[in-house]
Amino acid sequence: MRYVKWGFWLTLATLVFAFLHYTLPQTDIVRIVGSENRRVDIGENSLFWSRSEVGMTNTTSRDVFFINAVYPNGKTMEYRNEDTGWGWPPYFKINSFGLQTQAKEFASTEAAPIWVAVRHYGWRNQFFTIFPNAVSIKRVAGPDVTLIPWINIIILTALAVVLFMMRRIWLQFRERTIDPALDGVAETWDSVDARADAARDRAKGVFGRLGAWFASWRSKPRR
Amino acid sequence: MIIGWIRLAIVGYVVLTAIYFIMKIYLRSVARERLEKEFDAGGLGGDRSAYVEAGMARYDKGLKKNLLWLIYIIPTVLVVVTVYVMNFQ
Repeated sequence: MRYVKWGFWLTLATLVFAFLHYTLPQTDIVRIVGSENRRVDIGENSLFWSRSEVGMTNTTSRDVFFINAVYPNGKTMEYRNEDTGWGWPPYFKINSFGLQTQAKEFASTEAAPIWVAVRHYGWRNQFFTIFPNAVSIKRVAGPDVTLIPWINIIILTALAVVLFMMRRIWLQFRERTIDPALDGVAETWDSVDARADAARDRAKGVFGRLGAWFASWRSKPRR
Repeated sequence: MIIGWIRLAIVGYVVLTAIYFIMKIYLRSVARERLEKEFDAGGLGGDRSAYVEAGMARYDKGLKKNLLWLIYIIPTVLVVVTVYVMNFQ
């Protein structure tokens, strides 16, 4: 049973972590090498793709902007560039066309590199053909700059405050509403118990028992 | 999806209204508990429930209760700021 309990909490923690890791913004420092526009037919992996641009008809077969990039260590990365619109995750991104123009502007060669910080959410996974969605591109001084993830710090702090408040609200509700109600139930039960005891006391002895039996035919005293 | 933001606004404000009422009940409950404990600590004359009700009337007019409207204001401002920063900067 202990293993089941631990397994449950471990699974829950993994799911929460994965959800936050997917949804919260991350920043990569990369060199953009190109951008393209490619038709995709979204299938089983539709969960990891966004919707059509705001105002357009939503289909699972459409053209999607891609941004190709290279990390300072030479590894490659591909981002999709899709509107999130008004849905989840709440980035409210409606400028995928503008972002694509920016990506084209920042494209550079290895000889004359332009380093940019690409903020994105999502994962790159070759097994499902899914791509992180780029949400902003900013030029940085070089490949070694340190960026402090203020947005993540603020969001996670706010989330911790919300969880703490939910606990406080629940405890207050239990103390002021549930416990008094349960006390009321306990008092009612006690009085039922007391009446049963009194009836048993009256029913002592043969005649007492006979009397109690007759008494049980009479209507109950009105309260 | 051109009306997507209307849907977001409706769903968002329904959720915020639920949060508003939960927080309202919670903060009132905390205020009442504080008043009851103040009275039970002793040193105050008069009727207990009258003292608590007077305190609650003061609470209902106070700044703290009116700050509850921030539950609507802060998310609205956050969304507007996010839309601006994400797309028009």
